[in-house]
Amino acid sequence: MMCTAKKCGIRFQPPAIILIYENEMKGKSRQRIMPVRNFSKFSDCNRAAEQLKNNPRHKNYLEQVSLRQLEKLFSFLRGYLWGQSLAETMEQIRRETTIDPEEDLNKLDDKELAKRKSIMDELFEKNQKKKDDPNFVYDIEVEFPQDEQLQSCGWDTESADEF
Amino acid sequence: MARDKAQPCELDQEKYDADDNVKIICLGDSAVGKSKLMERFLMDGFQPQQLSTYALTLYKHTATVDGKTVLVDFWDTAGQERFQSMHASYYHKAHACIMVFDIQRKVTYKNLGTWYAELRAFRPEIPCVVVANKIDADMKMTQKRFSFARKFSLPLYFVSAADGTNVVKLFNDAIRLAVSYKQNSQDFMDEVLQELENIDLEQKEQDLPGLEQAASTESLPPS
Repeated sequence: MMCTAKKCGIRFQPPAIILIYENEMKGKSRQRIMPVRNFSKFSDCNRAAEQLKNNPRHKNYLEQVSLRQLEKLFSFLRGYLWGQSLAETMEQIRRETTIDPEEDLNKLDDKELAKRKSIMDELFEKNQKKKDDPNFVYDIEVEFPQDEQLQSCGWDTESADEF
Repeated sequence: MARDKAQPCELDQEKYDADDNVKIICLGDSAVGKSKLMERFLMDGFQPQQLSTYALTLYKHTATVDGKTVLVDFWDTAGQERFQSMHASYYHKAHACIMVFDIQRKVTYKNLGTWYAELRAFRPEIPCVVVANKIDADMKMTQKRFSFARKFSLPLYFVSAADGTNVVKLFNDAIRLAVSYKQNSQDFMDEVLQELENIDLEQKEQDLPGLEQAASTESLPPS
């Protein structure tokens, strides 16, 4: 079945993931309501997203919807169940999906470090030039001259150009 | 005879004395992209060996330097860097060091100081290069001055493991530096260690006069 996902969102009451999509008949939007069952404020959003994506009844429809987006939608639901405002949940999601540049990752345990790495991997994969890309070049050399005129990176100690 | 010395692990580090073998170590904080850089350089050719008991990943590579084949072992940290310190065997017999930071995270740059101090405690003379990784995330950083590299007169490379900028150049230069270090200079520490070994063997000779011959053969420094 050809299915082009247009929009995907969440309804809180009763909880459901809602997908707007087009099938073979182009130009005609359809809506699919996928009820969310057994989800509490203690549930794991990542696992809930995986389960929905692999659900045999919904699988084909959700092919174009990323796991990350589904996970985010579940996070909204979870925040709602905790009584958080939308703004609070958004802020929480932002914290969980971005890297705090000040954080010392050496101090994290395996699980937390893996989370940070997967956030970084997203950008890596976005910018990655793979071997099978048509314009892939193995050896790319670009010169970036380091000279006195350059502005300091701002990370060095101010005094006398000391590191 | 040579085998009775305490080996740090089952990994045979004696081979790094052979002419055509070099050992290059990677240093730097967690998640600065050390493994990603290795993988980008080696592409399909990479078959890392996990030595989990030593929190270490080994990448083997065959390079050609001035027409000669060189067997390169790249040592990668596999999580050991979290202790902000590496086991002494990690530095043992290394011929060059690639020190990496993430241009998006200041703390990884500041920690270069700690890494560099530890490196120099074990290997005072080996060539070391500084790598500013992830320039694809913020190209503006390539227009900035990083005083750390300048302070210690180390070459600085702006690279991206994602889009490949300067990765191959970095590794080829590091291999070249390792080979020339090995050919041209005797590390002061190597000499001291060699001296200590000789003293040790001389004592053994005295202790076991019957083994004199064997012991003096063993004490020949590797050419």
